[in-house]
Amino acid sequence: MIMAPARRIQLFRSILIAGSLGVAVGLLGALVAGRALAEDQPSSSGIVSLRLVPEQVLLEGAGAGQRFLVLATGGDGLEREVTAQASLSISHHDVARLGPRGKVVSVSDGETALRASLGGRSALATVRISHSGRREQVSFATDIARILTRQGCNGSSCHGGVKGRGGFRLSSNAMHPAEDYDWIVRGGGYQVLTDKPRGARNPRIDLKDPDKSLFLLKPTLEQPHGGGMRFEKGSTDYRTIHSWIRAGAPYGRAAGTDPVIWRLEVFPEEAVVLEDGGYQMLVTAYFSDGRSEDLTEQVRFESLDREVLEVSPGGRVQGRRVGEAVVLVRAAGKVGHARFGVIRRTLDRFPRVARNNLVDEEIFDKLERFHILPSPPADDAEFLRRVCLDVTGTLPPPERVREFLASRDPEKREKLVEVLLDSSEYVDFWTFRWSDLFRVRPSAYDYWEWVRQSLAANKPYDLVAQERIAAQGADGASKHLIRAGANVERVVAEQFRVFFGRRMDCAQCHNHPYDLWTQNQFWGLAAFFGRATNIGSGSNQVVFDDPAGQEQDYGEMGQTSLVFKQVTHPRNRTRVEPAFLDGTVLAPASRTDQRLELARWMTDHPDFARATVNRYWGHFFGRGLVEPVDDFRLGNPATHPRLLNRLAEDFREHGYDLKHLIRRIVLSRTYQLSSRTNPGNREDRINYSHALPRPIEAEVLLDAISTATGVPQDFVPPGGEIYAYETAAPGTRAINLKFPASYRSRFLDIYGRPQRDSVGGRDNKANLSQALHILVGSTYNQKLGQPGGRLETLLSRRASDREVIEDLYLATLSRYPADEELDRLTALARSHPQRGEALEDLLWALITSREFAENH
Amino acid sequence: MKKPSRWIVDGADLSRRSMLRVGALSFMGMNLSRYLQAAPLVASSGTALPGKAQACILLWLNGGPSHIDMWDPKANSSFKPISTNVPGIQISELLPRSARHMDKLAVIRSMHTEENNHGMGHHYVMTGHRPNPSMKFPAFSSIITKEMGPRKGVPANIIVPKIHPGYRNYYKAHFLGAQYEPLEIPDPNDQGFEVPDLSLPDWLTVERMESRRTFLGVVDQLYRQKVERAEHASMDAFRAQAWNMILSPAVREAFDLSKESEATRDAYGRNTFGQSVLIARRMVEAGSRFVTALDLNRPETGRDWDTHFGNDYQHRDYLVPVVDRTLSALLEDLEQRGLLESTVVVVTGEFGRTHDLNVGGGRDHWCHCFSVALGGGGIRGGQVIGSSDERGAYVADRMVTVGDLLATIYKAFGIDWTKEYMHPIGRPLKIANSINDETGTPIEELV
Repeated sequence: MIMAPARRIQLFRSILIAGSLGVAVGLLGALVAGRALAEDQPSSSGIVSLRLVPEQVLLEGAGAGQRFLVLATGGDGLEREVTAQASLSISHHDVARLGPRGKVVSVSDGETALRASLGGRSALATVRISHSGRREQVSFATDIARILTRQGCNGSSCHGGVKGRGGFRLSSNAMHPAEDYDWIVRGGGYQVLTDKPRGARNPRIDLKDPDKSLFLLKPTLEQPHGGGMRFEKGSTDYRTIHSWIRAGAPYGRAAGTDPVIWRLEVFPEEAVVLEDGGYQMLVTAYFSDGRSEDLTEQVRFESLDREVLEVSPGGRVQGRRVGEAVVLVRAAGKVGHARFGVIRRTLDRFPRVARNNLVDEEIFDKLERFHILPSPPADDAEFLRRVCLDVTGTLPPPERVREFLASRDPEKREKLVEVLLDSSEYVDFWTFRWSDLFRVRPSAYDYWEWVRQSLAANKPYDLVAQERIAAQGADGASKHLIRAGANVERVVAEQFRVFFGRRMDCAQCHNHPYDLWTQNQFWGLAAFFGRATNIGSGSNQVVFDDPAGQEQDYGEMGQTSLVFKQVTHPRNRTRVEPAFLDGTVLAPASRTDQRLELARWMTDHPDFARATVNRYWGHFFGRGLVEPVDDFRLGNPATHPRLLNRLAEDFREHGYDLKHLIRRIVLSRTYQLSSRTNPGNREDRINYSHALPRPIEAEVLLDAISTATGVPQDFVPPGGEIYAYETAAPGTRAINLKFPASYRSRFLDIYGRPQRDSVGGRDNKANLSQALHILVGSTYNQKLGQPGGRLETLLSRRASDREVIEDLYLATLSRYPADEELDRLTALARSHPQRGEALEDLLWALITSREFAENH
Repeated sequence: MKKPSRWIVDGADLSRRSMLRVGALSFMGMNLSRYLQAAPLVASSGTALPGKAQACILLWLNGGPSHIDMWDPKANSSFKPISTNVPGIQISELLPRSARHMDKLAVIRSMHTEENNHGMGHHYVMTGHRPNPSMKFPAFSSIITKEMGPRKGVPANIIVPKIHPGYRNYYKAHFLGAQYEPLEIPDPNDQGFEVPDLSLPDWLTVERMESRRTFLGVVDQLYRQKVERAEHASMDAFRAQAWNMILSPAVREAFDLSKESEATRDAYGRNTFGQSVLIARRMVEAGSRFVTALDLNRPETGRDWDTHFGNDYQHRDYLVPVVDRTLSALLEDLEQRGLLESTVVVVTGEFGRTHDLNVGGGRDHWCHCFSVALGGGGIRGGQVIGSSDERGAYVADRMVTVGDLLATIYKAFGIDWTKEYMHPIGRPLKIANSINDETGTPIEELV
């Protein structure tokens, strides 16, 4: 009551502001355009070429329009979007007219040319118009769903959230318009764990008096609305909804036959702008009935990194600082994206770089397109340390470093890689890595053996996956089913996270808010596990699929039993049949071993290879092409989608051979680049223009300290809360412990060893305890001068300062000290009253240095 | 066009909210003019934040204490209610000492969570969220640490004694950053109690450390020139802090229980929990923001609060007396030192226990309704919030969610409880997350 006049005043004011702003923007636009012409224009070299996008278009229906972009390529090779600066003209004004901002609007059926000119260059496009008299009826699935999407009503932080907002729930991006229609037209409150609506179902529209519809009162703030005012009474959106309600609120054509967006085309797919540069985006929808439509004004744009790039509601991006950002485009029922690089200046010349394989082709092509200068190749020492740590988790011994650095064999890197892949350390290290990923937990001794044997035999990875998913019996991989906590949703979600790189857990309870996964799809896949059960107790448990699939009581108190019985859908409480992603139900005749059917389907699916190569890529580069490595989803596109597909294809063609995949990666020039940055790539974190240093994992770092000091670590099981497999023999390396978390180790604790109770539970960020341990802790301080250790051995055979320093450098940093370092360190050691102490202090400095603690 | 209208909404909302608050205040005998006077007084007290609390001590009773045998006495408890120093408030006879401090404590008798097993419930209370395999939630202890920032070079977030590794995740800062993670302290009641890596070993002198730093300066130089990483700066900061901690006596002294009189040590109780809470007070005094003192698998008796068997004798003979003694010692001590006004004390477990005894004389997990006691830090004591039904089974009046509890604690600190963080996966996270994705509401009578 009190607010009404205030709002009217506000409205009045905002119109005033909008009016004056409009004028101001016009003036400003002209000014900016003038300035842009003078400054940002492809300079003196001028415009090399000009083009219009799209080149041709067919406009159907009354008032149909298409926005055009004018693109100019300058002498620097950068294509800029210059629509505002170019002059546009239409050849047949009776066919189409020119609106603001490069928009062409249909007038009558026919064909016309659109001409753009700028800086003495011109470009042409063809516009055809048909059915210019046809008016489409307003339909829910197209028109209303678009408003809900563009206005952000169905965004995941509003009604599109998991539980909706204020009792009103919509599917995010109108992924499921029929459900949305139901909540609006029939009303009711959504509940997560049941398909029963909460409370009485009161329609949110009023067919008799459309103005009284909640669906209009809320967004116009005539009734309090937590989301504030979305549109004004009388605005275009208001009128669209109003006329839709007055028309009886039709769904459109019968559900399922409405034309749906088949493909969303975002232009540009990828572009580069300068720090202060802009670029208008263009979004085209291709419908199932063959039509296409300019959707630019009907979608919601969202920059995934607003520090790098901003995007206006109309789809104009603006560079902010050097980097790279994705713009997500949310249309009703579809999500698309574009990738923008923001650069400080263009590169005059991209260096001629030899490309070793498909990895380099894709990586260097993109660097060239994005004007990022790659670093030079790593020297032999840098490469040696990096590849040894990445492939074997082990530092090269000093004599190996000397030998490698001295060798003049032009193929010594290739040969080294083969030696590493054939080494027992390879098996040790990857068993450790996989034990993390596959969650090998205490008492699953033979599960660990299965992992180790799979690696030792270089078993094709699709077979590994099949064995794990379809595991039956008492041995190896079947143990992971018993240990998992025996809950079908967890087991299934984990298989998909490990082998598909997807986090489907969200879809257990509701349709995935950021992806296309639906709850039904999830439970259809979960049902493949519906017969898994086990019998026996302790270490004598047998996992098998019970053909009856009935809940059975195997008696005996205290045994761990799988509870995968019949799989029931949590919302509607009906029994779920095993079904693949596309909804195809597994034929009853094929259900003899249904988990094997699922395993085969999964390993044949392109996501399997993609997820695997991405996980490996992430290991070798410190960052996945999709990052996090197991978070593939619509809103998280790959930085190099073509590379991801090509690597996956290559992996598949080579029989899912992991060693082949490793060779592909480590023999690429990209992997072998130096970590030294240059002014042209310092800000790059995602394009692999230089190696990205990363912390060494807890277990590997502890082993490195042990080998560098020559003093092994003893691992003592606590004999208490966590059961250890066995006492580790003296000299056992941390990566060879079957379950490192079961041994007492302050070092491993503070460097973040995982408990393996979930996938990806490793946290190796720097912390205060590490800093304290470095200064006074036992790992860093008690090994330095220990008898039999490296330093003590060197001193006892009377090695010179120079020899000692050199050997310690080789053992820790896998390189010779630089002359300058050698001089300064020798001088420091000589000035110290106690030589032994001085050299101990040097060894301490080496193992606590960042260069030692990182893989670079 | 959208902005001005949003402003109206916010404005209306704000005024409604503040009206409500003013209403509540005058109900408590404080009139509007005094309320308006009070505001600038607080603002000029030196901090930019209006909250009084500067630190929090959480007494975590792991396993789930029986609320009807402690804070919410019922006829179906084997124990009698007793009067407290606040007329009209009664608690169980097992808490005679705490009863004398009821004026400092508020009891919420209508806590409700949605997780009925230990791990999940523990996670839920510490984070306000149910565990979700796709994302990790920061603990509210880390959130307070982040929002308040460290003080006096002392570790800001502490857990004592060391936590079971399986529970460690519930206390993590996760995406907030490693500087907000808790530092774990070993059992302070152990004979040779010493916080690891906090003092120079005998053979390591300060001169020696300096020598090492000189060597490190040379060794690290080339690499630092070559590689720039944000993490280097963060490690450098930790190293500087570590160096100060080792050289300055303040931190070591904070951990040094021998600085306490025997009488004080006795008052807190000569057991792991008692001495842990004493460490907590010392740390808060020294500058920590949040200390979690765990009462978990007591080394002396092997007991914890998960009393599926013999609930009564365990509560009577072992569990409650220790907490009763320690809690009242803490409250007295804080008050004497003038720290009570700036230190929130919270006593809770992951849930309560069932209203009926099972066949083994035990009580089982019960999350539908239980009690939390809290006080200090500006939280007004001597009150009971909400109530349970006749048997202590379900909320009878005014359900309080974890989101509400967290919002109350945040408000005591002057932290905006409606704040959201953006999780790296792109999902907004409320710091006071309540049931059904709502934001928790501070309990008005308390803050």
